[in-house]
Amino acid sequence: MPRYHNINGVKVQFTAEEETARDAEEKTWADGQLNRDLLSLRNKRNRLLAETDYLALSDNTLADNMKTYRQELRDLPTGLDTVEKVANVTWPTKP
Amino acid sequence: MATYKSIRYNTPVSNGGSRVLLAETTASSSATVSFTSGIDSTYKEYLFTFTSVHPATDDVKLTFQGNAAGESGFNETITSAMFRSQLDEGDSDSNLLYNAAADQAQGTAFQQLSDNGLGNGNDESMSGYLSLFNPSSTTFVKHFMGRNNMYQKDSYTNDNFLTGYFNTTSAIDEIQFKMSSGNIDAGTFKLYGVN
Repeated sequence: MPRYHNINGVKVQFTAEEETARDAEEKTWADGQLNRDLLSLRNKRNRLLAETDYLALSDNTLADNMKTYRQELRDLPTGLDTVEKVANVTWPTKP
Repeated sequence: MATYKSIRYNTPVSNGGSRVLLAETTASSSATVSFTSGIDSTYKEYLFTFTSVHPATDDVKLTFQGNAAGESGFNETITSAMFRSQLDEGDSDSNLLYNAAADQAQGTAFQQLSDNGLGNGNDESMSGYLSLFNPSSTTFVKHFMGRNNMYQKDSYTNDNFLTGYFNTTSAIDEIQFKMSSGNIDAGTFKLYGVN
C-alpha cells in the first residue's frame, strides 16, 4: 500500500525513493525491538534493585530471602534472547 | 478582616502573549505530517500542538525533524535531552528517568518526542506540544522544548519532557512529524505563532 505525506494538509504520495528509504527505516526499527525491550526491562530491574539497596549497606546484614531476590533481579536478563521471552518474563517477588 | 470584592489594575493583566493559529491539519493514515509554510520571522516562538495522536502500529514513538531554509531533507543537527515520569495503572511502578535512549548529541536522526511504546489500541494515543524558538535567527541555534503525555504499552502514563536545539545558524522553516514505524493513523496537528 502506498504511503502518503500530509504536507500543509495536502495528501502527497511518496516517491519510489521515499518508499525505499521508509522501508529501510521501518526494518531498522523492527530489528531493534529486542534491544528496546531489554532496555526497558533493565530500567525497571535497576529501579527495583535500587529500592532495596539500603538493605545491602555494609552496616546491615542482608536476609537470605532478600539476597535471593536481588540476585534473581540481577540475573533476570540472562537468556532473554527473543522479544517473546522478554514479554513473558516472570519478575521475582519482593520478600 | 476586610473583604475585597474586586481588584482594578492600571494595566491589563491579560497581555502576556497570545497564540495565532497559522495552520491545522488532521492526520489520516499519514506517513508524515509536515508544516512547510508559515514558519518565518513573523513570530519569535512557534507552537505545535498535537492532540489524540494515534499510531497505526503498536509500540512506536512520535518523532520530528526540521529543515533549514534553502536546503532539502529533514536532517538538521540536533543536541537534545529528555526525561520522563511514569506510573502504571496498577500503581505498582512509578519512576523518574533520564531517557538516554531518546537524546541526541549532534545527531541528525528524527528526534523522538515521546518515549517508546506508544500503543495503537483503540483508546490509546498521545497529546502534547512542541515549541520552537526564534527559528528565523541566522545568529543563534534554534531551541525547542516539548512536553507530552502518552499511553504507553503495559498501561503506563508517560509524561515526557524534551529540550534541545537545532545546531544551525540557518533559519529553520519546515518541521516534519512521523512515527518511528508505520503511519500516523489519526490526530490533530496545529501550528501557532506566539506573540
